[in-house]
Amino acid sequence: MSESENSGSKWGIAHVHASFNNTLITVTDQTGAETIAKSSGGAVVKQNRDEASPYAAMQMAQTVAEEVKAAGIEGLDVRVRGPGGNLNKSPGPGAQATIRALARAGLEIGRIEDVTPIPHDGTRAPKNSRL
Amino acid sequence: MQHVKVPQDRIGVLIGEGGETMREIERRAEVRLDIDSESGSVAIDTVGDPVTGLVAPDIVRAVGRGFTPEAALSLLDEEMRTFELIDLQEHTRNKNDLQRQKGRLIGENGRTRELMEELSGAEVVIRGTTLGIIGQPEEVEAVRRATGMLLDGAPHGAVYSFLERKHNELTRDFDVQPSD
Repeated sequence: MSESENSGSKWGIAHVHASFNNTLITVTDQTGAETIAKSSGGAVVKQNRDEASPYAAMQMAQTVAEEVKAAGIEGLDVRVRGPGGNLNKSPGPGAQATIRALARAGLEIGRIEDVTPIPHDGTRAPKNSRL
Repeated sequence: MQHVKVPQDRIGVLIGEGGETMREIERRAEVRLDIDSESGSVAIDTVGDPVTGLVAPDIVRAVGRGFTPEAALSLLDEEMRTFELIDLQEHTRNKNDLQRQKGRLIGENGRTRELMEELSGAEVVIRGTTLGIIGQPEEVEAVRRATGMLLDGAPHGAVYSFLERKHNELTRDFDVQPSD
């Protein structure tokens, strides 16, 4: 199926939660129970509105990648999610930047999955916000 | 595997003369496009590097929303280049209001739209009920804010001076490319 099973190398899962206000990166082992490294927008920028920016995401991904490699993991499957639910369904600007930065930091990227929670008709959506 | 809907009159552009554009996208983004010209649905399968294939849905969507294939393929040129789609229908009250706001966004003889492109450096296309932007993240952000201002009823002059200010900010510290 995926590259993660065939070789003896250790793989992990990168959970990327990219909203329009922040980006959260959590790298776990394959079960998802053990966190190896994590970071969020506030760890790298000073201004709150920059937390979701792709530049912040790149920096976060770099530091996370180093920690992950130090833990002996060579590849990552990626699970991206946006805010979801009755909110915005598409991942924010940090998602792509994160994946690219992880790939460039020398980690192998397996499959990329979108795990945004989609309501099977839940609560009423919030009123439209300004651009 | 992802699905993207493309309007009937843009399918020809997406495929290109003798399938040229389609093959170009497939080659450069390392994906396989399965275009159903009856229903307009495009299935996108990654064949190569999943990281390169990441932008393929955006490219197809951009072509579908009125961008030229060259502009859409520029998403692959640089890592940070982003595509954003604003659905004007969500921000307008009814058909008449949509028509009016589109007119405001495009401007007399397209002047407002052109100024948005020139001063920000991004590419802006208004088609049907959507406004699409392709550019660097800061450029896209500037155009989005300007669009928001116009939709909120700001006078054009105020938006132009906002864009002018952004233009100065964007070009001051790093000269990436002369924007006009």
